[in-house]
Amino acid sequence: MFRVPLLIISLACLLPAHAGAQEEPDTRAEEAREAREAKSASLSPPRPGRLERALLALENGRLFERILNPAEGFYPKMGNVTTGGGFAVGPGYRRPGLFGERVDISAFAMGSMKQYWLADARVTLPRLADGRLFAEAFARASDYTQEEFFGLGPASDRSDASFYALRNTEIGASGAVRPFPWLSLGTTVSRVTPDARSADHQRSIDRFFDTSALPGFDIDTHFIRTRAFADLNYREPRLNPRTGGRYLLSVDHYNDTLDGRYAFNRYEADLQQYISFLKNRRVIALHGLVSVGDPHTGADIPFFLQRTLGGPDDLRGFRRFRFRDRHALLLQAEYRWEIFTAVDGAIFYDAGKVASSTRDLDLSDLESDYGIGFRFGTINGVFLRIEGAFGSSGGKHFIFRFGHVF
Amino acid sequence: MSSDPSHILRASRTERFAVAAACLGLITTATGFGVSPRFYPDDPLLVDDDRALDAGGVRPIEGSNGYDFAEHTFFKPGDRRNVQAMNVNTIDEVPNSSWFTNRIGAHSMTLDEIVRGPNQLASLDIDGWPIVQEKSSGITPGYRVRSPEGRLYQIKFDPPEHPEMGSAAEVIGAAIYHALGYNVVQGYITTIDPAAIVVDPKATTVDLAGRRRPMRRSDVDRILSRAARQADGRYRVLASRFADGRPVGYFKYYGTRPDDPNDIHPHEHRRELRANRVFAAWINHDDSRGINSLDMLEGEKGRHAIKHYMFDFGSTLGSGSTVAQVPRAGNEYILEWSPALKTLFSLGFYVRPWIKAEYWEEAKAVGRFEAERFDPVGWRPEYPNPAFDNMRADDAFWGARLVAGFSDEAVRAIVAKARYSEPGAAEHVAKTLIARRDKVVRAWLTGVNPIVSPTLDRDGTLTLENAAYRAGVAAGPLAYALEWSSFDNATGNTVGETVSGRVTEPRAALPERLRTSPFLAVTIRTEHPGLVAWQLPVTAYFRREDEGGWKLVGLTRSVAPHDTGREAAR
Repeated sequence: MFRVPLLIISLACLLPAHAGAQEEPDTRAEEAREAREAKSASLSPPRPGRLERALLALENGRLFERILNPAEGFYPKMGNVTTGGGFAVGPGYRRPGLFGERVDISAFAMGSMKQYWLADARVTLPRLADGRLFAEAFARASDYTQEEFFGLGPASDRSDASFYALRNTEIGASGAVRPFPWLSLGTTVSRVTPDARSADHQRSIDRFFDTSALPGFDIDTHFIRTRAFADLNYREPRLNPRTGGRYLLSVDHYNDTLDGRYAFNRYEADLQQYISFLKNRRVIALHGLVSVGDPHTGADIPFFLQRTLGGPDDLRGFRRFRFRDRHALLLQAEYRWEIFTAVDGAIFYDAGKVASSTRDLDLSDLESDYGIGFRFGTINGVFLRIEGAFGSSGGKHFIFRFGHVF
Repeated sequence: MSSDPSHILRASRTERFAVAAACLGLITTATGFGVSPRFYPDDPLLVDDDRALDAGGVRPIEGSNGYDFAEHTFFKPGDRRNVQAMNVNTIDEVPNSSWFTNRIGAHSMTLDEIVRGPNQLASLDIDGWPIVQEKSSGITPGYRVRSPEGRLYQIKFDPPEHPEMGSAAEVIGAAIYHALGYNVVQGYITTIDPAAIVVDPKATTVDLAGRRRPMRRSDVDRILSRAARQADGRYRVLASRFADGRPVGYFKYYGTRPDDPNDIHPHEHRRELRANRVFAAWINHDDSRGINSLDMLEGEKGRHAIKHYMFDFGSTLGSGSTVAQVPRAGNEYILEWSPALKTLFSLGFYVRPWIKAEYWEEAKAVGRFEAERFDPVGWRPEYPNPAFDNMRADDAFWGARLVAGFSDEAVRAIVAKARYSEPGAAEHVAKTLIARRDKVVRAWLTGVNPIVSPTLDRDGTLTLENAAYRAGVAAGPLAYALEWSSFDNATGNTVGETVSGRVTEPRAALPERLRTSPFLAVTIRTEHPGLVAWQLPVTAYFRREDEGGWKLVGLTRSVAPHDTGREAAR
């Protein structure tokens, strides 16, 4: 026995055939026209969804670019004041192309939740002599409230972790000549006024160390800093290198106003080499840094200007500024492999040491770590780096950092 | 008695059978007076009149690159059913329409026709034409100028590191796509004297802060600083003429435009869009996506219609517009999980095959363009394309026939249009195009039974053409198995006894007793020792004309249940 719903469905099968019988087209063209006329009865404007509209607005208005990093005008400056300073924000302003497209000006001020702050202003002439000359005048002031300190020398103890505050102002000018696109020769002269003092912290430096024995602690002076450098850079791409190298040699001369008690020179060789294979899809990246501090006779290097190792950019298995001394040696090696567009994997090994004497600046007793990570970016740079560093005496470290390591 | 609508699902097998039988019986009864004939008098339709209704009410639509990528990568829009293309006519061909005009597939084009492409002028001199606007989209530096006749042209420059690369790819790609049958805009390679550049006082640009302001000479100099300059101080450019009509956005590779009454075939089921995968693979048009299309509203008030254009060929032939194309392009989607995960977990010891491809690097004007490792079936655009994903073997076969229409001579003539100045550049591009063409044709012409253009003449001789054999990509078949029958156009069924036959030549005689039938069907299977797919049936339908001859009114081409083309896209 058929039930009612089934009968209704059976009858419904017949209806379209009879209905269609009265309007059957005679030609294929007529059939197509009828389909079009049917559609014309229910036209509607294209309605992009919310996500599509939002992305369209972002792209058309270049909102990310205009709001977060505009080439011109005011913008919110975001990022790190310095390593360990925490995420900082503040107003920024830039105005390129003044005075016949020759002069750029920029300024920003930013502060972090850790009460670090930094203000920076500069006037730049980047395109002199068809781009071969560069000149800049700058002024910057900063206050770093919780800089880590573990003591001087390679044998410093992790349990002595303490904090100091460092306030600094610097006013100066730089100039460089680029005889070739891959070579820059330049100099900087500036007046630096640092002030290292106890931190407002329960682990302030004065509770763990005899600050009177720390060179440069709480002194009232300023330095004239002179720097000369030669930068040979043929990396490709420049901001996320896969081939080539960069060899930066620099000499810094610090002369203080306290009878040269803290005058010193620093000589550095910072070398990077990128060996690629499989059409740049795999890269061995090597980095070596040798820094030698040479105090003038009877002088010492202020502790806050001594070279440090430890942190997300050098010895990644250690805390920031874990080691500090006059001299430093750093060796880093990474194997990078492209996982897909814009994402690379990396396995790394870091080794290094600080020393008070150049005789000790050898390959013995190096602190080391290893790790694995991911880099997110394009040929225009790495915008995010996520890494885990292990195997050091400093424990395991997870690194979440904007920007490349080297 | 239940009123639950889901009750039908719980009906007994007997009840369901009874309902089905009732429906079938009623429909069968109805066919005599209600169901359309299989073939109409105007079949096969050679022109689809998709300008029939006024489309004046369409609204411009804008495309978001980010959304387009995300939508197609993560959401897979469009109807993915394995069905025949919906805009083909009854002989499995694409009728002319606002999307496509049969050119190289319909008649033998002269070399001059192929090379000229859409262009109406022999050359273009744009010195002194005022700049009226900046170039509003895309990554290539450029601007817009107005000709003395008031026509708008978009000017695009080549990158300094790769002079001639982008402009060459544009004119070659446009000429090929035009010959294939697509609508493309006119594009001319010409040069500009920087001293002759004039900025219209009303020209505007958007400054770095996003504000619209008058355009200045310094803006032009900034553009020129990113452009390749010739030894004589001039700049080589591509000048693309704006198409007639009003721009109303772009077309998507799925769905239909909801405000266009003429747009009734879902785009993912349009053959010329599905088979664009074949053409895009040939010239490595990895940027073939909806965003790179153009819809122009043409016509007068009350008679508006949209014309659909393919647009922007700067990312073809190994050019990446502003850089040499990345090796991944054409081999892998931007985001493709399987190879990425293999590479991730093997710490890079798994090496994608395309990484090992070698490229000719003797000329800056040529990007990364090679044929040796090129795999037409596995070729990929930048991200999934619904129409490409839906391409079946019959769509690919149709496309490959068009590609086979480009002779070596035609390819070389098209490449010459690019006016490469570096030694070896033109030869490399032409040789690579020819080698890739051969791979495309070999891959896709043999995936179905390649019988095309069957004719039945007045004296009853059936003549077949084997497209694969004609293109030289397969040795001659052993034989053709034929099944003749009379055909009832009202019911769409064959009637009477089937007459079988087997011939070793592509010709056969119509069985005597079928000569008086008003409609005939002949099913053809091609026997070939190495190509199993040729056994798939092709059925041709002929209608007896009043004067006694026979007209081909239908052709169905079977495809294998497992379609390697569709599977490769997934």
